[in-house]
Amino acid sequence: MTSEEIVEKLKAGLAGAIQDSDFPQGDAVIFVAPKSLHLVAEFLKNDPDLKFDYLSDVRGVDYLLEEREPRFESVYQLYSIDHQHSIRVRVGIDEDNPSVPTVSDLWKGALYPEQELFDMFGIHVEGHPTMERLIMPKDWEGYPLRKDYPLTTETVAFSHNRDFKSELIKSKPPTR
Amino acid sequence: MSVTEQGLLQRDKDTMTLNMGPQHPSTHGVFRIILEMDGEVVKTAEPEIGYLHTGIEKTSENKRYVHVIPMTDRLDYLNPPGNNLAFCLSTEKLLGVEIPTRANVLRVIMCELSRIASHLVWLGTHALDIGAMTVFLYCWREREMVLDLNEEISGVRMMTSYIRIGGVAKDATRPWLDGIRNFIDYFPEKVDEYERLLTKNPIWLDRTQGVGALSREEAINWSLSGPALRASGVNWDIRKSQPYSGYENYDFEVPVQNNGDIFDRYRVRVEEMRQSRAIIKQALENLPGGDFKAPDNKVSLPPRETLHTSMEALIHHFKLVSEGISVPVGETYVPIEGARGEVGFYIVSDGTNVPARVKLRAPSFMAIPGMCKMMEGCYIADVVGIIGSIDIVMGEVDR
Repeated sequence: MTSEEIVEKLKAGLAGAIQDSDFPQGDAVIFVAPKSLHLVAEFLKNDPDLKFDYLSDVRGVDYLLEEREPRFESVYQLYSIDHQHSIRVRVGIDEDNPSVPTVSDLWKGALYPEQELFDMFGIHVEGHPTMERLIMPKDWEGYPLRKDYPLTTETVAFSHNRDFKSELIKSKPPTR
Repeated sequence: MSVTEQGLLQRDKDTMTLNMGPQHPSTHGVFRIILEMDGEVVKTAEPEIGYLHTGIEKTSENKRYVHVIPMTDRLDYLNPPGNNLAFCLSTEKLLGVEIPTRANVLRVIMCELSRIASHLVWLGTHALDIGAMTVFLYCWREREMVLDLNEEISGVRMMTSYIRIGGVAKDATRPWLDGIRNFIDYFPEKVDEYERLLTKNPIWLDRTQGVGALSREEAINWSLSGPALRASGVNWDIRKSQPYSGYENYDFEVPVQNNGDIFDRYRVRVEEMRQSRAIIKQALENLPGGDFKAPDNKVSLPPRETLHTSMEALIHHFKLVSEGISVPVGETYVPIEGARGEVGFYIVSDGTNVPARVKLRAPSFMAIPGMCKMMEGCYIADVVGIIGSIDIVMGEVDR
């Protein structure tokens, strides 16, 4: 199916759940609210014409600098192995009490990237079996990939380098 | 028949917790698994990662697009051109640049050479883990030839950064092309040699056949990719299903096996080395002339010699070096078939010369939960074989 056909089919099947759709460079992209994510995911996986049985990745994005509402987004990339088509599902997540339902009951492959979503962005994934730190140490404070988390350096005892630290401790990159 | 089905796992108590890693040689990096053992049988395997975390994704959000490319080399350090290509393809898709045919062919040659080199490292270390010493030395001998070719074209043996936004860094040189021709003539015989050592070797068969098997449905559901997915009977290769860089013009087969065990993953990768060699051979035969980078001055640097005569070129050169490429607002993702599976960069651009978000889809990272699923119910000696058969690289797991 082409990108347009996939989105049309989705809109026919789930009229209220799809907020918006887009076709950047020909890819199919749909926008979904967190509360209807699980419903949409089930439809995507179980519908025989769509049959998105392969979850490629889940990523978080922080739109703080663009001042966009809602601030966070989790993006799901799905493929159908049989039909050889793909779709991207974008879910906007509010800044206060950020949370999103899990899809790891449908695709087991989502377990790790969803845990990373919590680790790096502090987005709570409801229904996920292990909501704890994955890559960062267990006692780490803060969420490193949020835009308000500063890029810092570790203090070293001795260095030949010039003092980069004062330049680096800024939340905005120097080239902007 | 698995150990669980044979009724060997009767007792619930009397288990032992065993720590493996992070400094274990067979984990190919710093990877820790906590195994719950019932005698010699693994009941559960709990992975722990993050020892190699360097914050490359965070750093990328503070660097210009061009400066991200050398960092992508360090993610999957056995297949650097694949990572370069994935990053460049995503950026080029946002920019809307047309890549010249010659650049595409050079990219394909580089990626397939690196796939061969990566599979050679995998075969050597995997065989060494299981106890076959000789294969390791043979594989290193051939990998050395690929590294020499890398050095000839890019000046660096491993972290090549040869593929750039808009094309490649440098045009093909005659010694490089001659070296590749020698290599592809010499290589098939050597693959047969590895197969003679392993494929019918009874020790190898005992250690690999029926071990760590995953069915077709499980492999898809656990998001395995690349050779591990194809060994479970899924005919899924991104070079065929979503062709990029002109892969649709090459005639090659996608090896698929059906049992999904360690032996089938071995068969798939060995056959892939032969197919990669076939792709390189076709690419060399049909290497077209023309530009090796897009003739778009907003994207790639103008030729060095024009700087002396053209004011326009000088301005573009200065702007590109001092400011970098400004990418239009948008988000995109282009998957490619790397050596260990689907690699792709999800890039969000806010219209400046610095990416707003860079996320790597790392095949090793996605394969870890599935790998621990394979370990349940197998013997402890097979844990090492299963880790090797997935071919994990911790650089891209921890990023």
